[in-house]
Amino acid sequence: MGEWFESVLDAVDIETFFACKDEKEGRVLAMQLMKGFGLKDADIVFIEHEGPGARVRARGYIHRAGDRYGWLEGGTDDE
Amino acid sequence: MSKEAKVLLAPLDPVHDIGLKIIKRSLDEAGYLTILLPPDYSSEEILKKALEEKVSAILVSRTLGYGVAELLARFVDMAEAVGIRENVKLAIGGMSIRPELAQELGYDAGFGPGTKPEEVIAFLENRKYEPEIRGAGKIKRDITKGFDYAYGNKNIGKMLDHIVTSIVGWGQNKTTPGIKRAEVRKRLLELPQGKDRTQLLLEYLRWCDDKVKDFYLEKTVLPKTRLLSSEELRKLERYVEETNKRMTLQVIQHTREKPVVFIQYGTGCPFMDIAHIKAGEAWGADGVVHFDPSWGARTEGFLEGYITHEEDGSIITPENLMSIKGSLSPHTIWQVRAHRGLNTPETVLLAGAMGADMTKINIAYGSLGGGTDPARLTVDAMQAIRYAAEYRLSFDVVTNEELCGVPAYKAFAGMLITAHLGLRLGGRPILQPLFCYSPEVMVSGDMDDNYVDFNAAKIMALRNIIRAPIWPGAPIGFLTQTEDRVQSSLSTALHGALAASLGVEAISIASSDEAYSGGPIAVPSRIDTLKALQEAFRFFGMSSIAPTEKAGVWAERLEKGIEEVLETVAERGDFVAALYEGLLGSVAEGAYPGRSGRGTVMML
Repeated sequence: MGEWFESVLDAVDIETFFACKDEKEGRVLAMQLMKGFGLKDADIVFIEHEGPGARVRARGYIHRAGDRYGWLEGGTDDE
Repeated sequence: MSKEAKVLLAPLDPVHDIGLKIIKRSLDEAGYLTILLPPDYSSEEILKKALEEKVSAILVSRTLGYGVAELLARFVDMAEAVGIRENVKLAIGGMSIRPELAQELGYDAGFGPGTKPEEVIAFLENRKYEPEIRGAGKIKRDITKGFDYAYGNKNIGKMLDHIVTSIVGWGQNKTTPGIKRAEVRKRLLELPQGKDRTQLLLEYLRWCDDKVKDFYLEKTVLPKTRLLSSEELRKLERYVEETNKRMTLQVIQHTREKPVVFIQYGTGCPFMDIAHIKAGEAWGADGVVHFDPSWGARTEGFLEGYITHEEDGSIITPENLMSIKGSLSPHTIWQVRAHRGLNTPETVLLAGAMGADMTKINIAYGSLGGGTDPARLTVDAMQAIRYAAEYRLSFDVVTNEELCGVPAYKAFAGMLITAHLGLRLGGRPILQPLFCYSPEVMVSGDMDDNYVDFNAAKIMALRNIIRAPIWPGAPIGFLTQTEDRVQSSLSTALHGALAASLGVEAISIASSDEAYSGGPIAVPSRIDTLKALQEAFRFFGMSSIAPTEKAGVWAERLEKGIEEVLETVAERGDFVAALYEGLLGSVAEGAYPGRSGRGTVMML
């Protein structure tokens, strides 16, 4: 995972539109996209399919409550 | 550049000159001599005019498109060719214009969408633009201010007086482990620094569940929690300090001052909460509401220390509350909920001691929808209200039992009883009707046409009964929102606009991912609804949403229903029995008298 992810406060949402035949295919594509971007803790927040394809909002959590947050690590105590 | 100098405003565009007209108005008001050319002048014509008028600055506007960059660059070359480039300031403005692009094209400045006239004036005067910090004058509002709690419906006022007298009489010789703990906690808080607290702590633990005792005595950490390290705390402090330095505060309200806008937090981790709070404040939230974990409500006793939790709900400890308080902007209203559960008195005590502004208490909801035994919560809530009065915390009386299926008129009767009890004990209650698509209206079909009338009816009914502050929630639009970001933001914005139109004091709003149950709320989703609400307030301004005549009919029906329920409770002569027996919401309606803490009420 790229170090830029460490500055993400909690999650990365990706919104897109897949040209696909049904919601099931849209879901698979969305999860593959998230994996492709290196977002492992991923899920689909919202998906809506109509004829031309699926409108999707997928989410990958970078920091969940209780984690050690990269954005808090912005430097050492010696700075 | 002096104000006597002339400024030429030239739309190098076939049609668009609105932006320049707005700028011209401001420059005129500021005392500049301005010349606004009509659209569709050529570069040559504009420069000819500039030479004739001996202008000191030319402000060109143009929307970017194919070939436009070349046109704009050529304008600068021509200005140079006619010999005015050295002495005349050149700026370009319009959609898609960025300062870097303007510089690249040879202009002195570039102004994109959202440019404020003051920015242009600063440019003309060779000053650095210092944006006005919106919210710098933001004040922390007391939403109970100015209310006298006089009853318009005298009969209801009379019945509430009768019911509350019986509650106070019933509770006067009773106590609970929750009250005992709060008393010890108060002494612990008052203990001078460095004094041995062992004896008091042991006394506190006498009234706690085993897992809380184990935490203190055996250092057993609860599942899915961990203590935050001192290094993490130092880093948090620095994060807050750095963030505060960069903070400018947006204001959500437009021309109406009300409603005050609350967001809810409770990510599980006080650090993550603080990050969410700072984002909420920056994007205009006026207040924040602390959500604790549901198990916290069913556990006798609080933990201590800086503790993070991997699941929803942020653990109430004196230290966690203190770190959250320390991060808040001075104008932010802070509410710590205590409306349900076995730690109600201590929650209010801690909230008050840690500097919260508000709390949340409702016996009927907490015992019918929140899982706490009615007798236990009645005794606890009375003490909690006394603490609220002592620490000057106002408190809202939420009616979430509607979400269980209890009809609004019954939930409102319960709310009014707690509110009146609050008044009797010296508190400042706020009525919190739901602005939601509740099971009651799903079944009745009263929202089949619109979401306006039934919600408006609630406010009209309550206003007819009592002059009290009203804070719909929580959050507004609940059960109308889906996981769709656009739909949920819009729904929140429209409910907010309705609340503003009805002139209520405050609202609580959801994030645009509130309906998503697969993970925690993310910060951008909080900002979605704040932005949507800001836009709705801008759109409606001082105009109003007009409910249909049904709202009036339903308001009357609600008021009558409330009156009938209160009559039954008053006749029963025993509020706690009325809760057990379903007079304020029955099992058939989805209200279950809670069992947590049953049998723990003690006689003094």
